[in-house]
Amino acid sequence: MATDNGNGAVALEDARNLAESAARGVQETTSLVQAAEALATRLAASGNEQAAASEQVRSAMENVAAHVEETGLSVHELVRAQRTVSDTARGLQQEAEATAGALQEVNASVAGVRKDAAHLAASSDTTAATLEQATRSVKGVSANSEELAASSEELLASMTEMNATVADLVARNQSSAAATEQVAATAEEMAKGISRLATDSQAVGERVAQVSTTVVNIGRVLGEVARDATSMAASVEETASTSEELARSVRGVAEHARTLEASAASTASTVEEVAASVEEVAATAEKNAAVVDANAATIEQLARSAQSVAKAAESINTLAASSATASTQLETSTRRVAQMTEEARANAERVGTTARDGGATVTRSIAGFTRIRQSIVESSGVMKEMGKRAEEIGDIVQTINLIADRTNLLSLNASIEAARAGEHGRGFAVVAEEIRALADRAAAASADVAKIVRGLQTTAREAATATGEGVRAADESAALASDAERALSTILKGVEDLGQNVREVSRASGEQVQAVQALTQATAKVSEQGRVITTSAVEQAQAAQSLAQGGTEMRRMARQTTQATADQARALRDAVRSNGQLAEVAQKVSRAVQEQAAASAELAKASAQMRQLVQTVSGAVAAQSKEVAAVGTLSQESSTATQRTLLGLSEQAKAATEVTKAMEETRKQVAQSARGMAEQARALKQGEVASRQVAKLAAEVTRATDEQAQALTALVKGADEVRRVAKTTSRALDEQTEALAALATSASRQATGVASMARASGESTTVTEGLAKSVEEMRARAREVLTTTAQQTRTATTTAAEVREVAGRLAQLTRLQGEQAESLARLSVALGGARNPEAGAARAREKQA
Amino acid sequence: MSVLHVVFKVDGAEYALPASDVLQMETFTGATPVPGAPSHVAGLVQVRGRVIPVVDARVRFGLPPVQRSLDTRVVVGQLGNRTVGLLVDSAREVLKLDPAQVKPPPPLVVEGARGFVKAVAQVGPRLVMLIDFPRVIGEEAPDGDGQR
Repeated sequence: MATDNGNGAVALEDARNLAESAARGVQETTSLVQAAEALATRLAASGNEQAAASEQVRSAMENVAAHVEETGLSVHELVRAQRTVSDTARGLQQEAEATAGALQEVNASVAGVRKDAAHLAASSDTTAATLEQATRSVKGVSANSEELAASSEELLASMTEMNATVADLVARNQSSAAATEQVAATAEEMAKGISRLATDSQAVGERVAQVSTTVVNIGRVLGEVARDATSMAASVEETASTSEELARSVRGVAEHARTLEASAASTASTVEEVAASVEEVAATAEKNAAVVDANAATIEQLARSAQSVAKAAESINTLAASSATASTQLETSTRRVAQMTEEARANAERVGTTARDGGATVTRSIAGFTRIRQSIVESSGVMKEMGKRAEEIGDIVQTINLIADRTNLLSLNASIEAARAGEHGRGFAVVAEEIRALADRAAAASADVAKIVRGLQTTAREAATATGEGVRAADESAALASDAERALSTILKGVEDLGQNVREVSRASGEQVQAVQALTQATAKVSEQGRVITTSAVEQAQAAQSLAQGGTEMRRMARQTTQATADQARALRDAVRSNGQLAEVAQKVSRAVQEQAAASAELAKASAQMRQLVQTVSGAVAAQSKEVAAVGTLSQESSTATQRTLLGLSEQAKAATEVTKAMEETRKQVAQSARGMAEQARALKQGEVASRQVAKLAAEVTRATDEQAQALTALVKGADEVRRVAKTTSRALDEQTEALAALATSASRQATGVASMARASGESTTVTEGLAKSVEEMRARAREVLTTTAQQTRTATTTAAEVREVAGRLAQLTRLQGEQAESLARLSVALGGARNPEAGAARAREKQA
Repeated sequence: MSVLHVVFKVDGAEYALPASDVLQMETFTGATPVPGAPSHVAGLVQVRGRVIPVVDARVRFGLPPVQRSLDTRVVVGQLGNRTVGLLVDSAREVLKLDPAQVKPPPPLVVEGARGFVKAVAQVGPRLVMLIDFPRVIGEEAPDGDGQR
């Protein structure tokens, strides 16, 4: 401002102009200085007044300082209590985290159980599939396979149900994942928003800081100009503002304390909720343990039944092998039977031909017999005729014989008479002798004839008899022949029937051969599949055993979980107890803070009084440093406020980031869980597909024919048992899943509760820390205020002196100004412009300032 | 000097009787039984208008009776005044026997035949027994006389 001296070489015109303007300025300045003098006079008066008021303020401030000290102590106590609360909360959080860890362990173990269950389901499925295959292969083997098919359908239905249940579970889990995602997204957005807000606030803060620095610079410059007045005004303003701030901050503290109390109450309720949920979890875990026990027992039963199934399958295998051999033998024998049947057919046909030939021969024989009979009857007639004739001849011969006999008698008598006659009778005797000889010959001849005739008659009689016999024989023969014909026709018919039968038998044998071949093949297949079944049954038994081991492990884990949950519940009960204590402490704090608030209100009141005083003091100063002080105060306040806002915002941002981080973790966990559930769902879908295949196989089984293998009944029974056991296992697993879902829900609820509690605790800690900080600040400010008030008092005194001096100087200045004005007028007249007076006026203004 | 004999058969054995003792030969057509007569008397017959007794040679010789046939003959003999018939199985020839041919019967035969056989004649291979006709007719001879 005073550098115009170096410009003396400038044109005179300019100088003149400047001098004129300087003169105008000096005149203005003079008027201003005069006004300032008046003001200084007034200021001196008010400075005196201010000194008195400052004394009053100082005493009030001392009171305030005492109050502030008390408040500080209370706040320290509060901070200590808050620390313990925070510690407890941390412990609680740790316990909650431990609980969460235990829950995760439980989750892991449950996942293991699920995996085992999936294993079991898979092995059950494979077993079922193998059984179905076995059933299909030994389809015709047993009618009970239909029962098996029905059981398969039931299994499928239960599998579908299970699948639906799991799908539902997956859907629920997915929806929960989605909800979590949404929550995470919202949290992220919120965090982002808060970050943006923080950056904006930072920018605002920076700008405010810039403004503040600028203002401070201005203030510093102004401070150099008007150190005393400004420092006094600033001190007063500061005191006032600090008082107000103190009141505000105390109110904030009270608010915080109320918030803390509320949050402590909410924490208590949350903790109680958590405890309840943990109790629930404990109950669920116990139920779960029971279910797992039942499951393990079921699995053991399953293992036993699987072993029995394996045994049955082995016996089936041996039976199938023996049946295969038997069917092979059957095939050979059937082939032989078919061959023999073919031979028999050929024989039957030959027999038929022979029988037909025999029939023809017999017919011819019958005709011959008829002819024979006829001729025999004819010859019998001839014989009878001959006999009659022979008898006639016999009669004749008898007569001849009689005649010969009589002739003999006569000759004998003649001989006797001749002998009696003696010599005369000699010739007569000779004649008589010759007659006798002739008669004897005739008799002999007739005897011969008679003999011949007798023989002839005998012969004829014999012939007649023979003829009768011959006729009878012929009749009998004819009858026999007709019998034979009848028999032959019967034989023929029988042979034809036989041929037909044999043909049918041959055909049937051929079919039987085919059937037996098919049977052999089927039996071989059955044997093979029985072997497969045996292998798979053995595998299943092994799997069931491993499953049983897993069940035992699971049982142990469930017991551990139950114990851990019980421990957790105990810890939570402790936490609840400590939380109650915390609540009590918080209430105490609240009470203290309320008292403090009352004190602060009093303080504020005092401050207000003080402010009134200071305002009256300041009123005088304000005339000079109104704008600057206002600007300084405002920028200071705004800077402070901005900084506080910044602090709160950064805290808020930090909290939001933490929330985001926590939400991220939650989202990750939920995503993992969703992934696990999806895997489970996929596995179950595969199980369902396998089940559907099983069902399809069972349907095919049902469609096929029923033929043999009673031995399979045992297997089917065993398979039914396995199915039943698997069903029971599935049911138990469903229950377990449900229980786990409940457990997960309650655990998440618990985690949420613990997290909210931790959050609330952190918030309350932060709030308390802010409170402590603000109280600390307040205390510092109070001290500062005290000091500044003392200084103010001092400076007010000095200011009063200085003001008096200033008044003196102003009087001098007024005098100089008068002189200056005169010389300037002269200079202006002489040069038409002046420079130095202006500079001097400026210096004087400066001095005046 | 050879003598003519009538030869007859009883039960297969040949007996002879001198033709001089024989009146005639007759056929037998049945005899009328005589009540109270001895068993060997067959009955009464008519011969050329005369009634004569007939002695059954078979009963006399102690032989079983047979059926009468066409060959059955009644040899009518002359015994003194009496005429008696002897019923034989057959009589179909006469023989001339030389006395040299006739020999006495062996003592054993005589004793057994109760004196009926007087001698035995050898005719070629044949043996013909000569009977004692009166003895064969027996004590009934007087009765026969009376009836004549």
